[in-house]
Order: sequence, then C-alpha cells, then structure tokens
Amino acid sequence: MAHNFRIIEDCLKCSFREQRLFCDLSREALIRLQNIKATSIYPKGALLCLEGQAPRGVFVLCTGRAKLSTTSSEGKSIILRIAEPGEVLGLTAAVSGTPYEATVETLEPSQANFISQGDFVRFLQEYPDVGLRVAKQLTHNCKCAYGEIRSLGLSNSVPEKLAKLILQWAERPLDFPGRRPHETAIRVTLTQEEIAQFIGTSRETVSRVLTGFRRRGWIRVKGATWTILNRAALEGLVTT
Amino acid sequence: MNTTPVQSGTANELYAMLSPELCAELKQHERSMMVSANTALIKHGVLPDQLVIVHSGKVKITFSCSSESVCLDCAEVGKVFGMRAAISGELPEIDVISVEACRITVLPRDAFLSLLKANPEIYFAVAKVLSTDLQIADRILRNSSRRCSSASRAKAPRPI
Repeated sequence: MAHNFRIIEDCLKCSFREQRLFCDLSREALIRLQNIKATSIYPKGALLCLEGQAPRGVFVLCTGRAKLSTTSSEGKSIILRIAEPGEVLGLTAAVSGTPYEATVETLEPSQANFISQGDFVRFLQEYPDVGLRVAKQLTHNCKCAYGEIRSLGLSNSVPEKLAKLILQWAERPLDFPGRRPHETAIRVTLTQEEIAQFIGTSRETVSRVLTGFRRRGWIRVKGATWTILNRAALEGLVTT
Repeated sequence: MNTTPVQSGTANELYAMLSPELCAELKQHERSMMVSANTALIKHGVLPDQLVIVHSGKVKITFSCSSESVCLDCAEVGKVFGMRAAISGELPEIDVISVEACRITVLPRDAFLSLLKANPEIYFAVAKVLSTDLQIADRILRNSSRRCSSASRAKAPRPI
C-alpha cells in the first residue's frame, strides 16, 4: 500500500467486483480478462484517451475517478460525465471502431486495466455476460447523458445548476468521525473551472455563486471537502 | 443539425452485425410498413413494445425541454430505435418522429429478447447499436452547448 492506494492486480480476488457495473462477470470470463488486461496506476491528471484519437482499446477503471470531456460546437471544453470505478472507458470507440468521443483524464490517482481493442471485441463476442455488462453500461451512460441534457436544459439559473450538482455528489457522501448528523460531507476534486465546464458557465460565475452559498451558511468549503450545512436550502433552489 | 449515418450497403445497423441465420430468424417476426411524415415512432416516457428500423426516409430526434420540443438530431436509413428500452426496460427520453414518408420495419420486443436469450452472441450487435445511441446523446450534449435557447416548437406528432 502506498499513499493509501491499494492495487488490485487479480480480478478474481477483487472484493469490489460485485458492486461494479462491468466487473461482476462469470469465473471463466474473469480468467480470460486476467489474461488480456494490463494493469497500470495513473497519477492525477493522466490522459487515458484523447478525443479524436483512433481507438487503441478500453480502460476498465478499477479505482479512482476520471472526467470525460469534449469540445462543444462553440469550441468550449465541456465535461460529459465523471466516470466511477467499474466503468469501461473508451467503450463506444472500441465497439464501433470510431475515434474516441471524449478525452479521459484521471481526477485522482487511479488504477485502470487496459485491454486492446482486438482483445476486447473478441472478449465481448466470446462471453455473453460481457456483452450483457457492456449493454448495461452503454444504457447507463446514455441515461446519464440524457439526464444531463435534461437537467442543464431545464435549469435556468447557475445557482440551480450548481445546487443540483452538489446534491448529486451528496448521493455519495464522505463518512468521517465527528460528522454532525444533519451535515453531509463530500469530496470535490474538480476545480472551479471544471465545475464551470460541467454546468456550462464561467469560472467567475461558479466562484460568485459558491461564495453566495457559503455566506448564507448553506455549505462549508475546506479544501476538497465540502460540507452541506443546509440541504433544504439547496433543494429549494432546484425546481426541475 | 446533424445526421446519423449508418454503414452503407447494409440493411440496418443491427442486422449488419448478425449471421444470415439470425437475420432470417428475426425477419420471421418483423413487419414492414410505410408511415407518413410527422409520425411518432418512439415517444418519450412510453415504453416501446418494438424495435423500429428505418429503411427509407428521414426521422428526427427531439427532446422535450420545458414545454417545448427541441429537434436535436436526424437519423437516416438503417438506424435502429428502441434498443435501450428493449434491453433495460427504461423509458425513452427522446421522441423519434418521421420528417417525411418513411418505410420502417418493426420487430416485437419480446421476439427480439427471446432470440437474444437463445443467442447471446447478438449482444455484440446490441452493443454496436447502443454505442451509436450513446454517440448521438453525447453529440446532442456537445452541440446543444447546454442550453435550450434555440428551442423550436415542434408540431404534435401522430401516433404510429
């Protein structure tokens, strides 16, 4: 263990497998996966795929998180979603043989298993449960994308968009000793610039709105740890 | 507005990835028909009981935003709609409406799922179709630049 980071080298022994979107495969499929994957550890800020690049393969994110970003028709960088452990990154490109749709960058030290495109396609064709998992993930990603379109399209104000984002993050709260029952702590590894890219506004506006939330005593920000102090107030901003 | 091209020279994006035997089996269940312009092929919030394959003509993908319907993309021949709902049972977020007279084929969901269960190799073809769906969704997200200000009101489509 280094920097509190546990490396999972054997998929068959991974204790998180059953909780993950992709990894809960049959023993036969896991043995095959073990043979075709290459495990690597990436520091924060590592680029796994580049938008427009020909697909080399997929990355199964084992630990850590990664942001998927793209360039809008107006030339702005926008974040499509944040990938969680258990997701396969570069999936659409590898399956359809088209260039990567998004740039994938790790948000924290992460472990990912790389599988070459050829191996992955064969893996998908040979093991039905892999096909099922891939279909589930694509379905999940599509749902997230439409949820994002709906959410951002219907949210008229930046405070509402930011409140929705914070509440969404709060679905995966941090658990630490000394936390007060009515408070929810979350770890935010995105910069204000990235949050702005996520909700389609400027960094300055995010900063201003966040300051407003803090002044009203709705949230407390201490480094990467944000604490929701008044959840009802945030929820009150959300109208859609 | 973008269009979603589908591999040329193939009947549709699903059958293109299947063996002739599986295609023949699916064809036993399919039903072809002509639909006029402004027909709703997929309705948001309504679970489709069939896959819809567009064989000729153009269809548009619209997304309901507040009280308005925003046309976000167009798909051309060979596109298969309703796969995500068929696989996951989730309700569609989009409407798919014919822009002009279209020839379509419908494939009952139950028949497709039965064949999928018996022939899990079909999942690769399913993944291809879902990949295209996700590419459409991501492109909509990219191109709409996270706003609905250019929303255009669409006429109420006729049911299929």
